[in-house]
Amino acid sequence: MRFTKLRWLAAISAAIVALICFDALAATPRYGGTLHVKLRASSASLDPREWTPGSLSSGASEKLASLVYDRLVTLDNYAKFQPALATEWSHDATSRIWQFKLRSGVRFSDGSLLTPTDAVASLQATLGKGFEVTVTEIGLAVRAAHPAPDMLEQLASGRNFVFRRRSDGTLLGTGPFYVAESVAAAPSEANPTAIKPAKLKFQANEGTWSGRPFVDSVEVILGEPPLRQLLDLQVGKAEIAEIAPDLVRKGRQEGLRIWSSAPRTLVGLRFDDAFAAPASDQLREALWLALDRETMANVLLQREAQPADSLLPQWLSGYAFLFESPMNLQRARELRAGFPAGGPGATQPLRLRVDAPGDLFKLMGERVAVNARQANLLVQAALPVSGSNSPAPAVGLHLFAWHYDSLSPHAELGAFVKQLLDAGDLPANTTDPDQLFGQERRLLEERRILPLVLLPEYAGVRTNVHNWNASPWGDWRLADVWLDSEDAMPPKAPAGPQKNGSAAPNPGARP
Amino acid sequence: MQSFGKTCSKIFAAHIVFPRVLFPIAVLAAGCCLAMPVVADNNVALRETAQRLAERVAGIPGMRGALRLEWHPDAKWSEGESNRWQEILRGEFEKRSLSLTEDAGAPALDVFAAETPTQVVLTAKARVSERDEIRIVAAARALLPPASLPAAPIRLERQLIYESPDRILDVSSLGNGTEAGLALVLYRNFEILALRVDLRGVVKQSVSLNPANLKPSRDPRAEMSVRGSALSVELLGKSCEFSWELPAEVRCRVEKPAAGEKSAWREETLLTSPCDGSNWKLFSSGGEANARGVLQVVPDGALRESSAAVLSEFPGPILGTNGEQSASSALVIAQNLRTGNYEIYKITLACGN
Repeated sequence: MRFTKLRWLAAISAAIVALICFDALAATPRYGGTLHVKLRASSASLDPREWTPGSLSSGASEKLASLVYDRLVTLDNYAKFQPALATEWSHDATSRIWQFKLRSGVRFSDGSLLTPTDAVASLQATLGKGFEVTVTEIGLAVRAAHPAPDMLEQLASGRNFVFRRRSDGTLLGTGPFYVAESVAAAPSEANPTAIKPAKLKFQANEGTWSGRPFVDSVEVILGEPPLRQLLDLQVGKAEIAEIAPDLVRKGRQEGLRIWSSAPRTLVGLRFDDAFAAPASDQLREALWLALDRETMANVLLQREAQPADSLLPQWLSGYAFLFESPMNLQRARELRAGFPAGGPGATQPLRLRVDAPGDLFKLMGERVAVNARQANLLVQAALPVSGSNSPAPAVGLHLFAWHYDSLSPHAELGAFVKQLLDAGDLPANTTDPDQLFGQERRLLEERRILPLVLLPEYAGVRTNVHNWNASPWGDWRLADVWLDSEDAMPPKAPAGPQKNGSAAPNPGARP
Repeated sequence: MQSFGKTCSKIFAAHIVFPRVLFPIAVLAAGCCLAMPVVADNNVALRETAQRLAERVAGIPGMRGALRLEWHPDAKWSEGESNRWQEILRGEFEKRSLSLTEDAGAPALDVFAAETPTQVVLTAKARVSERDEIRIVAAARALLPPASLPAAPIRLERQLIYESPDRILDVSSLGNGTEAGLALVLYRNFEILALRVDLRGVVKQSVSLNPANLKPSRDPRAEMSVRGSALSVELLGKSCEFSWELPAEVRCRVEKPAAGEKSAWREETLLTSPCDGSNWKLFSSGGEANARGVLQVVPDGALRESSAAVLSEFPGPILGTNGEQSASSALVIAQNLRTGNYEIYKITLACGN
């Protein structure tokens, strides 16, 4: 009887929820309004050639660049590559030669036509060594030094945008917006000790080939203090704001709509070259066994992070669950007991430098030192030396934050190895998942890189933001978002076609 | 598109420079592939992936005796999808003389499946001679069969009749007999197309509505009315007419709605119950692109909040509805959030439960 009542209650609740939803549905997309966005990064570059692979700022830069530039192809949420600037593509039997047919009639935001030469110049610069990009009769061809079955994954992510460099050095894009205003961070007039954050304004590109975006403009403010961003979201000064992981719980408690991506950032430790030799094997192994990743993820980061056992996350490689990093203090202490007296980690502290910006990473560095101490290992934070002529003491260990840029696990691991370990290219056969797994396992077993936690991206999204359909890997797709704020215009068809070369003066795309 | 790439790869081997002659053929072939209904059997890629894994597992040195298959599907998969994989994997292992047993004491062969943004990754793990042997293969998700649909709630009969990777803007049923089928308006690669498909989902005719010279839109709309072989399609600010018999003669004109005029788009679809002749209205939820849509069938004259409403949940947002030839049925366009495909359902009011 009780069960029946519960079922009725559940049915009635479901009906009420459904009816509430029906109220909101009349939902016809609206054009107009300004979308206010706040990003955590304090700086960003709209020149993809300048981005440092894996850097935290490259994530913010990619978000902004996707407003201004297009790619050859995009990846939808259903594992399908969709045509963008390329309308068709094909490859040879070895997947080394890829042909792309370029969409015709596409114009840059200044009204000039996109040509295959533009696409070739930009992709040659972003794809880099190992790829030769050439103009063909139908568009362009990419020839890879090795088989590249992951070519589409590479082109649909990271810095592989298509742009044109103008003679004054600014970059032009064909995307849904163009840069209308760019103000660099500067000391505040009222309080010179405080920094006024950088601000960018993007205006809708009426003539974009992919359809005018719904909002008229997007205003982006970079690098405000995390708590301020959260507050601005609550009081309606921002419609979308990135939220620091340690503030997510607070945001949820205060009823904010919070979106999260798949883990995009790996926080880990990297031993310097000086500790890469076999003589330091026991030191590296002991620290690996001493790390308490669960506590870092669950307590320090309030369950808004995941303990990391691998270099690539599960969502990207599909095999990360095979790796384990069990904490074993007993074994760590045994290894420590075998260290030579006076060596690093024993009586001489191992110096740890936190390379990632922000207080959260400093706290994680302190946590690493605490874990190490529990295994009788001496790890000490290396403070930045300022105003002194004496050289900074040597650092043995770095706490880094790596932002996953690519949708290709092979390309991502390759960039990781090159950037963090200063090593050469991965073997060409690592596009095969079996080989890639073997390569990652070898890297992890060396213990030069010790993964700590994986952080998703978090963003608060106000309820007046509609059609928020961000991809799990963090592509926000702001051109598809529309606002129901009062200042938004009633529905209308996009404006008529722009006459060739008659676009409004455009200050270019570089802040 | 991906299958197009794969198809072309053999041609490519012989012609390193993409030949001018072959390209139009390839484009045409791609068009045909896109227009084909996705309902066709496509277990081939799934089977091929399972074969590769089974071959790699069978090649592990020292792999002997009966094994207990422990299957760990991706958490997002439905039971049907999981069972289909398991069945095919089991068959492929057994074909390679890997004997599988239910005996709990037999050594385990763990097989894990995980989805990445573009692939399904299959991992086999077995303990052989005191060490873990691991073999991994991957397949492009886009080549694998779509997920099986969740069971439809009762009281409204629902049947999936067409599926397409292209955005379906409107659908209408076509006559009886040999001409029976569907007329569709699609948004493909930023262009609007009208398609005539037969009852088996095979595309019989495709007409480009390029003469409308529309600007691309993030909110493309179309609404058609069929009168015999003539079709008129209302688009954003334009109206086009043509006949299936003279598809090259598409005539479009600009239409400016008067200020304050109510929306020209179809507002409601009415069904008649075969049981008592009562009329029912269709309403659909569909505010957000990433939420499942709910179709609400409400007695005509009653409020939408009527307690007599019948609800039916779809695997994604409902994008449109249109009446059918039978008064008790209608066509519903929805996007499947699992596959991304656009689907057409025929819904029919049925008597009782």
